[in-house]
Amino acid sequence: MSPWPRALSLRLALLFALVSTLVLGAIGFYLYQSLQKEIVWRDDQALLGRLERMRALLDDSDSIEVLRQRPHLYSNMLGNQESLLLMLDERQQVLIEINPTQLHIPPLPEADHVQLIDTTGAEPARLAWIHVQRDTQPVTLIAGKVLTERNQMLAAYRLKLGIALAAGALLAFLLGWLVSQRALRPVRRLAKRAAAIDVQHLYLRLDDEQQVSELRTLSRALNLMLARLEDGFAQLSRFSEDLAHEMRTPLSNLMGQTQQTLRRSRSEEEYQSLLASNQEEYERLARMIDSMLFLARTEQPQASVNLTRVDLHALVEQLCEYFEGMAEDSGMQLVNQTEGWLLADEELLRRALANLIANALRYGEANSPISITSQQLEDRLEIGVHNLGTPIAAEHLPRLFERFYRCDPARAQTGDCGGLGLSIVRSILQLHGGRVRVNSSERGTWFVLVLPTNGVTPTAEAMTDPAQSGPTTR
Amino acid sequence: MRILVVEDEHKTADYLFKGLSESGYTVAVALNGLDGQHLIQEEEFDLIILDVMLPGMNGWQLLQTIRRTSQVPVLFLTARDAVEDRVKGLELGADDYLVKPFSFAELLARVRTLLRRAPARESSVFEVADLQLDLLRRRVTRQEERINLTNKEFALLHLLLSREGEVLSRTYIASQVWQMNFDSDTNVVDVAIRRLRAKVDDPYPIKLIQTVRGMGYVLEQPS
Repeated sequence: MSPWPRALSLRLALLFALVSTLVLGAIGFYLYQSLQKEIVWRDDQALLGRLERMRALLDDSDSIEVLRQRPHLYSNMLGNQESLLLMLDERQQVLIEINPTQLHIPPLPEADHVQLIDTTGAEPARLAWIHVQRDTQPVTLIAGKVLTERNQMLAAYRLKLGIALAAGALLAFLLGWLVSQRALRPVRRLAKRAAAIDVQHLYLRLDDEQQVSELRTLSRALNLMLARLEDGFAQLSRFSEDLAHEMRTPLSNLMGQTQQTLRRSRSEEEYQSLLASNQEEYERLARMIDSMLFLARTEQPQASVNLTRVDLHALVEQLCEYFEGMAEDSGMQLVNQTEGWLLADEELLRRALANLIANALRYGEANSPISITSQQLEDRLEIGVHNLGTPIAAEHLPRLFERFYRCDPARAQTGDCGGLGLSIVRSILQLHGGRVRVNSSERGTWFVLVLPTNGVTPTAEAMTDPAQSGPTTR
Repeated sequence: MRILVVEDEHKTADYLFKGLSESGYTVAVALNGLDGQHLIQEEEFDLIILDVMLPGMNGWQLLQTIRRTSQVPVLFLTARDAVEDRVKGLELGADDYLVKPFSFAELLARVRTLLRRAPARESSVFEVADLQLDLLRRRVTRQEERINLTNKEFALLHLLLSREGEVLSRTYIASQVWQMNFDSDTNVVDVAIRRLRAKVDDPYPIKLIQTVRGMGYVLEQPS
């Protein structure tokens, strides 16, 4: 668990408070430091001035005795309880002492120049002293200031600063919280809008027009996601509906024929023919269920492929042999122009190609060739199946790979895979990380399987006889 | 040959009983796993056909009990053809499996294979009526006349001859002759059979390749 609160507005308020504390604290610290420096400087100047005047007084006066007898001269000069002034002779005997707080003066080293020192103890003080020669008699002059009051003043100042800082932080927190509450209003609106979208209302979109620009990106992305979901969902429900319809046809044949036959006694041949015809419908249903299961499995995210090195030419050759009879029946020729090796699930690739070739045989023009070609490009291998014939209208092309999609609803043929053949092709290619594309024009219909090779062409250590990889016409 | 069918679906059990009896086997039926286990302990069987989804004791459990005492061949039937299911059955010691719905011809073919303990005599010359196929010399003759067949036509005829009298389904033929292990939803097999007939049957009075409607093809001498 992060120590941060979960609510964004609270987080922002805390951050505001933190930032204000830092800024206010830095400013306060700076001001305090300059104030303190200034006070210290002034006090020092006062002490130095006092020493200077004492010295001048000493020079002027005839003797120390005179000075001692005229205490008002310097007591005036001091005028408060904090200041102190001492004059010592060479034996550290006090000649003059004005020391209202009875501060203990530590022994001070000799100094020709003015020296400054801070004493610590019960009563901290600032002392300035100097040794002067007076009539061959050395004298130490000491001026001082007890710092108690100054320290008290600075402490009070620090306290005020601290209180101001705390109040500032609190204020920043409160204002920050209010501001972020207000600023996050669009997020709440977005959430409310999003909460209204459910399965029945997938057509709803988040309005991204009046959004703040940061949220606009988000709501656009969400809208795109919604569009995809709606699309997928529509396809799914259309699929269930189509499935029900597709199953209805064979079922109604079965029910109708059977009931009609059972109405009265029939000859053995009639019964046999009914059963055989039923069998055909059952097979159609079984095939449909097989294809559906196949699709369901390949579309599972954890579906896996068993990749092996596949000799493409040999694979297509095998398929050509398989479809040879059908092709010759309609005067078509299967032309194998593929070559090379690839990494693929052989069984699945065979199935995909078989579906495409069966499709080409079904819709291709009689007495024309069907060619299967391959082309190795930089990062992918393209396997194309081409047939001549009436072009598929452009509006059908993008939907061709949807389950049960038929260009012409009346064109459901027996032996048609119930409109699942091309869906299966697409699923197989998706499993391989590839895709299938189609284009159709007067020059024929091309289905192209695009398989990524990641720039790696499976090397053919056992590359077969080169004569075999040439085009073969059958 | 005695076959035990353990199947809780009455209709399935019924048609398996009829079909297998008609094919010349002695068939016993158990409608649940416990009855099945009981029968297995009481009697001797040459083959057990086992449904996986059974009340009381499921097919897997029954299979495990059977394998503790006997090595009788077991063919299991399942409606779930997920790979794991098949692997599980084979791991537990089943000999073969069929996924529902299956064609009866397919079932019969599997049963025959399982019961044919020793592999069939792999002869190199097949002969039915006046048709002869010599595997080694790759020659086909009828009424002593040489018939020229393509490779695939030869393979198809060889398959039909080697399983003489058995009805072979289109799916089975496609998988054996062209290695197409899926339903390609086309009439390729019918076309191939028609072409084979044109060479092997049509010019001659006795037609050997028969269509069994709704099931497939069989090669046999018409009675």
